[in-house]
Amino acid sequence: MISILLRKRELKVREAIIRGVYEENLKIIGKYNGIISKERSFSLKKMFLTFVISVAAIFMHVNYLSPSSFFPENQVTANIIIQRPVTLPVDPDNPSDYRTFISNQKVPLSRMFGLGVRTIMIDPGHGGADTGTMGKMGTKEKDITLDIAKRLRDRLKKYGHYNVLMTREQDMTIPLNKRVELAGLSKADLFISVHLNYLPSKPINIIETYYFGPPSDAKTLKLAEQENAGSQYGLSDFKEMIEKIGETLKLQESKEFAASIQKNLFLNIKKETGYAYDFGIKRAPFVVLLGVDVPAVLAEVSCLSNREEEMKLNTESHRENVAHYLEAGILDYLNKGETRNEAKRHTERR
Amino acid sequence: MKQKDIQKEDNILFVGIDLGTSRSSISASNSKREWIESYVGWPKDFISQQVIGKLVLFGSEALNNRLSVDLCRPLERGVIKEGIEKSEDAVKEIIKHLIELAKPESAQKIYAVVGVPADTLKINKLAIRKAVSECVHSLMVVTEPFAVAYGMNLLNNSLVIDIGAGTTDFCIMHGTIPSEEDQKTIFNAGDYVDEQLYSYLSERYPNSRFNRNMVRQFKEQYSFVREVSDEIHVEIPVDGKPVMHDIKNEVRRACESIMPALIETTTEMIARFDPEFQVKIKNNIVLAGGGSLIRGIREYLQDALKEYGPCNVSCVQDPLFAGSDGALKLAQDMPPKYWEPL
Ligand SMILES: Nc1ncnc2c1ncn2[C@@H]1O[C@H](COP(=O)(O)OP(=O)(O)O)[C@@H](O)[C@H]1O
Ligand SMILES: [Mg+2]
Ligand SMILES: [Zn+2]
Repeated sequence: MISILLRKRELKVREAIIRGVYEENLKIIGKYNGIISKERSFSLKKMFLTFVISVAAIFMHVNYLSPSSFFPENQVTANIIIQRPVTLPVDPDNPSDYRTFISNQKVPLSRMFGLGVRTIMIDPGHGGADTGTMGKMGTKEKDITLDIAKRLRDRLKKYGHYNVLMTREQDMTIPLNKRVELAGLSKADLFISVHLNYLPSKPINIIETYYFGPPSDAKTLKLAEQENAGSQYGLSDFKEMIEKIGETLKLQESKEFAASIQKNLFLNIKKETGYAYDFGIKRAPFVVLLGVDVPAVLAEVSCLSNREEEMKLNTESHRENVAHYLEAGILDYLNKGETRNEAKRHTERR
Repeated sequence: MKQKDIQKEDNILFVGIDLGTSRSSISASNSKREWIESYVGWPKDFISQQVIGKLVLFGSEALNNRLSVDLCRPLERGVIKEGIEKSEDAVKEIIKHLIELAKPESAQKIYAVVGVPADTLKINKLAIRKAVSECVHSLMVVTEPFAVAYGMNLLNNSLVIDIGAGTTDFCIMHGTIPSEEDQKTIFNAGDYVDEQLYSYLSERYPNSRFNRNMVRQFKEQYSFVREVSDEIHVEIPVDGKPVMHDIKNEVRRACESIMPALIETTTEMIARFDPEFQVKIKNNIVLAGGGSLIRGIREYLQDALKEYGPCNVSCVQDPLFAGSDGALKLAQDMPPKYWEPL
């Protein structure tokens, strides 16, 4: 069944591409005037087919998820988990990065932000021509991310001491690198991008968070730990090293920020819906090229290929909940910074 | 109505053509597949014409008679030289010749999809269409890497890298027809490797007599990156006598000389997308074009990109026809209403 759905999707893509080729060629000879319609007649037959496929999909889905139906019925309002440190449910089959990270005692040498956070930039994924992924009922990633982002913005604004910005407030196209650039230009202290996942082959809900930053340089880290490291190196080496240490710190901040977001999202969504897979935190590939210089993360807050998730995402209450979890993740991260700074000041005074 | 029925009714021959800087190929719906080198030669004068016995020569035949013909490689640097009528004529001749090689029946209409290097299409859209349109009844022009992607069903979340002679073309597919942003062309390709190899060999063997053509043949026979176990010795004349030369190190250096630009452009293009998409593209990178035959190039690129997470690079099965096969598939998938008479 899934494969038929996939094939339908593929056919659609193929049709769009072929039409694109035709239109491009009309443009070349100057005949294109943009009138070519999207020939979308929603026939009864088509509607019926969609219905049959949907029913079958739900059927399959329930079948697949039957083990998780042992979980209690979904709660309408979520009881947010904020207090720390929660004893994390240990799942030996699915170890995630962030648990190891949180239990790791090695704390960054200094906190670059912490108390100083004023400006938070929220980035609703995709937009405009780039719809992102699309659910089987037609829900578009770009619309959901924008709505969640706006809710998150309003929540953060209530505190009164954050300057909250958005990379887009409308349905418009902006490539990822431009967005990160925007964060730099507006002197944001934190950057969070909101996305939805799509996993056609597995009807599950997965939560994962990517963090941005340069590749961690094991050698530099080691050097940083050696107190007299500088002495063995020439001036230029030393300068480069300092720069690299700075980058490494940024990376650690992003990683910690990601861990905080991931933990809050996953635990709360799991509590709310009874099922969710924790895919942990991951470093985003290639973002080294994007020159990120603030803690920056990208959260996949839900999975649009999952039919139940798609239906939930279409309810205001669920989107509000997700915004709430993100808010908790951000605050958690910021508070941790404060506590740690606090502790540090104490030890320094002594 | 099925495409096949239309074909029968209207007697149409669908053809896919890959118009390359060094090689051009045709795949037709009558199962014919042919290729020629993209050289056109016109006899220089009446005497040459009498000797050669033809008005125009193609590919290796043109090359072999290069002293008595006016030689033209129309898309040399991936672009029709603007204003030079000769290049446009050469494109016309190549297309005409390829179609002849596909042996259409005399009453058959020809519907063609032609793949050209991305830069050519960007700059010489109209010229290309003009040059081709005389030989066909209806026509679509697309970029070469896009034709490859279409033929391999890589419509979404993929990157095609077409390493040709004059240019290496990159094309990211994300479920729509790629825009200019999704495509990029660099000049680090086969010809560049030839130039490097030529200069390395000239440096090491200043007294040996070889030309660029020989150098290209050495490359095509022995190309590799990183390491291979075999020795590489070739015969090159010194003072008129054939002498064996060890060229292994030079071949490797020349082939590896295009890798940094290849890797950098790949990462740069992928980095514009969201991480989740980056992961998907990185697991779906396909190398095409003659340069994909360099031994070890797939592994080299894959390992270089792995630094940032999992990655999968593969090569097309048949680099010579991957483009024309894709163009043919596109032609056959095109609904009849899109084929407009010229
Ligand atoms: N085995 C090989 N190893 C390395 N390069 C090769 C090999 N075979 C062909 N080439 C090179 O590939 C290039 C031609 O590739 P092709 O895809 O046909 O180019 P184009 O599309 O630009 O005509 C030439 O530079 C040729 O020398
Ligand atoms: Mg080619
Ligand atoms: Zn997304």
